[in-house]
Amino acid sequence: MVLVLALGDLHIPHRAADLPPKFKSMLVPGKIQHIICTGNLCIKEVQDYLKTLCPDLHITRGEYDEETRYPETKMLTIGQFKLGLCHGHQVIPWGDLDSLAMLQRQLDVDILVTGHTHQFTAYKHEGGVVINPGSATGAYSSITYDVNPSFVLMDIDGLRVVVYVYELIDGEVKVDKIDFKKTATTTHSAH
Amino acid sequence: MSKEIVKEEEAPSLSSVVSAENRSLGSLRSVRWRLNLGILPPSPSVDDLRRETADSRRRYAELRRRLLVNPHVPKDGGSNSPDLVMDNPLSQNPDSTWGRFFRNAELEKMVDQDLSRLYPEHGSYFQAPGCQGMLRRILLLWCLRHPESGYRQGMHELLAPLLYVLHVDVERLSEVRKIHEDHFIDKFDGMSFEENDFTYNFDFKKFLDCTEDEFGSQGNAKKVRSLDELDPEIQAIILLTDAYGPEGELGIVLSDKFMEHDAYCMFEALMSGACGSVAMADFFAPFPAAESHSGLPPVIEASSALYHLLSIVDSSMHCHLVELGVEPQYFAIRWLRVLFGREFSLHDLLVVWDEILTADNNPLDKDSGNEESSGFKILNSLRGALITAMAVSMILSRINLKKFIAMAKSLQILALGSKISSSSPTFGVACNRSKSAVSGYTSSSGSVSPKTPLSLVPGSYWEEKWRVLHKAEELRQDSLHKQAPSGKRRWSEKVKLVLSRTESDPSPARAEKYKKGHRSSVRRSLLEDLSQQLGLEEDTETGDCFDASNLEDCHSLEVQVEGQNDTSINSICTAEEKCESGSGTTISEENSIFSDPASSGSSTNDHENDAEKSSVASNLSSDENDDCHQSNREYPPLPVSSPPKDVPLNYPHENESSGHMVSALKERRNLSGRFQWLFKFGWNNVSQEASDKGVINETVKSANRDSQSNTADSSTAGAPRNSSSTIQRDVVDQNVMGTLKNLGQSMLEHIQVLECVFQQDRVQVRDNLSKNNIVDKGQVTAITALKELRKISNLLSEM
Repeated sequence: MVLVLALGDLHIPHRAADLPPKFKSMLVPGKIQHIICTGNLCIKEVQDYLKTLCPDLHITRGEYDEETRYPETKMLTIGQFKLGLCHGHQVIPWGDLDSLAMLQRQLDVDILVTGHTHQFTAYKHEGGVVINPGSATGAYSSITYDVNPSFVLMDIDGLRVVVYVYELIDGEVKVDKIDFKKTATTTHSAH
Repeated sequence: MSKEIVKEEEAPSLSSVVSAENRSLGSLRSVRWRLNLGILPPSPSVDDLRRETADSRRRYAELRRRLLVNPHVPKDGGSNSPDLVMDNPLSQNPDSTWGRFFRNAELEKMVDQDLSRLYPEHGSYFQAPGCQGMLRRILLLWCLRHPESGYRQGMHELLAPLLYVLHVDVERLSEVRKIHEDHFIDKFDGMSFEENDFTYNFDFKKFLDCTEDEFGSQGNAKKVRSLDELDPEIQAIILLTDAYGPEGELGIVLSDKFMEHDAYCMFEALMSGACGSVAMADFFAPFPAAESHSGLPPVIEASSALYHLLSIVDSSMHCHLVELGVEPQYFAIRWLRVLFGREFSLHDLLVVWDEILTADNNPLDKDSGNEESSGFKILNSLRGALITAMAVSMILSRINLKKFIAMAKSLQILALGSKISSSSPTFGVACNRSKSAVSGYTSSSGSVSPKTPLSLVPGSYWEEKWRVLHKAEELRQDSLHKQAPSGKRRWSEKVKLVLSRTESDPSPARAEKYKKGHRSSVRRSLLEDLSQQLGLEEDTETGDCFDASNLEDCHSLEVQVEGQNDTSINSICTAEEKCESGSGTTISEENSIFSDPASSGSSTNDHENDAEKSSVASNLSSDENDDCHQSNREYPPLPVSSPPKDVPLNYPHENESSGHMVSALKERRNLSGRFQWLFKFGWNNVSQEASDKGVINETVKSANRDSQSNTADSSTAGAPRNSSSTIQRDVVDQNVMGTLKNLGQSMLEHIQVLECVFQQDRVQVRDNLSKNNIVDKGQVTAITALKELRKISNLLSEM
């Protein structure tokens, strides 16, 4: 029963002022055990705010981050799952599933979380999952201006992960749920 | 059905077995407690027990299913895709599954904080994850069920012993199973399948043939002759755990599968009071109950009930505590909320809880609209009264578990009687008892005496006592009591407290002490020291029983020795007063000063009386207590001096022996305080016991003296016994020969008085309805005491 929050691409203060208030009201400390952030926060204050939600915070470097010491990629194990984190601007073409799968194999993780496209996507791919939480503030991206604020909450319970997607569409929070079950074998095999 | 037929046939024997079971359930604590708490019906039928058990377990299982939340499991009957906006983990909606889940998680965290620290000394059981899980779930479910009270620290300590007794009984069951394997197997099969299964029947009969026993559970149980005395219990265990009885497995009364269910039921019954008067949950409530008369939270009210009882039993201690500003709830909360769970080791606690749970919890006072009668809600039932009494005896005596319980029981009766009077008058009465003029607890102190700041409150009180005492002195030439106490009392605050503690020494110790003769010499020397060093300041707050007892002895001796005229006494008094900085010396000096020379013997008696009283208060051996109690009660109407006569006469019936006890105790305390310095002085050699006894006797004596002037002195009755023993010890030293002779004379006087009183008391005792038995005992004791006294006086006169 581990709750993991995945978000990124906030671009505060350059492209957005703050998280949408409806999102902010939902994010209360005490419920979430881990936060993984794809990058582009961009300033330290955002990191501090995220720290107040949960002390276990993992961030990778986005191209606009002002803190230069974040790593490019990060791997962590939560429960039975191995998670990989990367901003995604390094993977070209941006947002391409096959390239991301390559990264996933490289990192040898079950769940890969990347951003940069500011669009939410979630793929089941070769025994693993590739998730893009989108932009939590709805900031415009290099590609498009039409961005809905979104983030992802993962509920990891044993060999099963439930992915809740929270999107702010027309001022209302919409929630969706995706179930992933990991096979008993520890590593995914691309066969 | 054949099963039923079988049961019917056995019904008569079963009922006999069942009644035997009820007697024999003695060692099956969990069943007994469940009966007491009202979970199991008091019916003698095993079937009913089983059915009730099964029902309660079902209720718990239902509760668990309903309230324990697993957010992953989809809602029953709901659509497969619940409204995600509502039901996501971050949902702010309080009704969502996740919301409930998180709330439960918070509660669990709070509970875990306490559970992790539960009974570390029995960690092998209580800290095991299975047990912790059970405790956590039970507490969680109870708190969810009672959101108005929530979880408070201490609830886990109430729950733990309940689970423990269940566990113990299950272990006992497995033991019995091992020992009586054959019985078990055969019983089950024989009873259930007698008609149906011939193979079993055959085996059973063969088995029976071998054992040449008759058919039936009882018969089987009697198979092994050596286990005869265990048979009823074994039968009980076996019947209760028959898997084929009514309700099948769910009905097995001693079952480890359902320990959680049973523990929950017991906990719930304990907390809610099971429609009785004392509900533990009230003690955790921070707000006053709706129908509370005093508008105080229940635990505060219960604490004041405790003080109320204490004021009756030991009003000087009570005065002292009030003066120091010690609110009862400082310590009472811990005692009441956990029912003394933190004060005793687990096994002792089980004994204590046996007593508490045996006491009936039904409200005694049906008419709750009556303001006067329901002064204290906690006293509204036997159980509540017992709890209050236990709290008071916690203050006064905790040396020995048995004595503690016996004392608590005697105080319980007192508590029940006292609930008639409202609190404030009682306090006044308590104060008044010691002297004719009550200046109230908070009355001015200043003018009265040059007391230490400590004795501000009862300053005038003590002075009054002193004056009365002196007046009474002349009138009490032939009285049993000594007047010393009044002066003593002035100093007594701390001393009293100390003494009361010391008084809690077991009376047997005292008795022994008195029988030992070696003390006397020491005491005498001490007395002499005392007289020489009146101005000495000593820290009386040693709280040392040893000292106290020594003081007592010294006091009595001193009294005898000093026999000074009043003027010298007065001077000494003043000297003492100067010295008094909480030291017992001054008090002792006062005691000696004030003691009636003529009543040196009586002082001995007083001591003994006081000792008796203190023994009563301190919960010395229970029979002694009873005796003292009785004798105290018997003698209250016998005031030694005329002035006190009025007071005692007023009291005996009102407050039973408590009044006497209180006065005696007070006096005793005064004495002890004074003697403490004496003891420090040169008492080191004296054995603790002896000194304790001596102190107690002395205190008794001094208390007697005081009480004579103040209140009914029932202690005299007790005193004779003690004094006789004291006197034996005194025989040795030559310095106090004279004293001894005086003692002898006074003893004779006292004996006469006692005898008179005795007869009077017989009449008076009749008034004490509830204590007839004790009264008789007390009378017998008093008579014995008188005889001893006679012997002692003879000895003394021979010297």
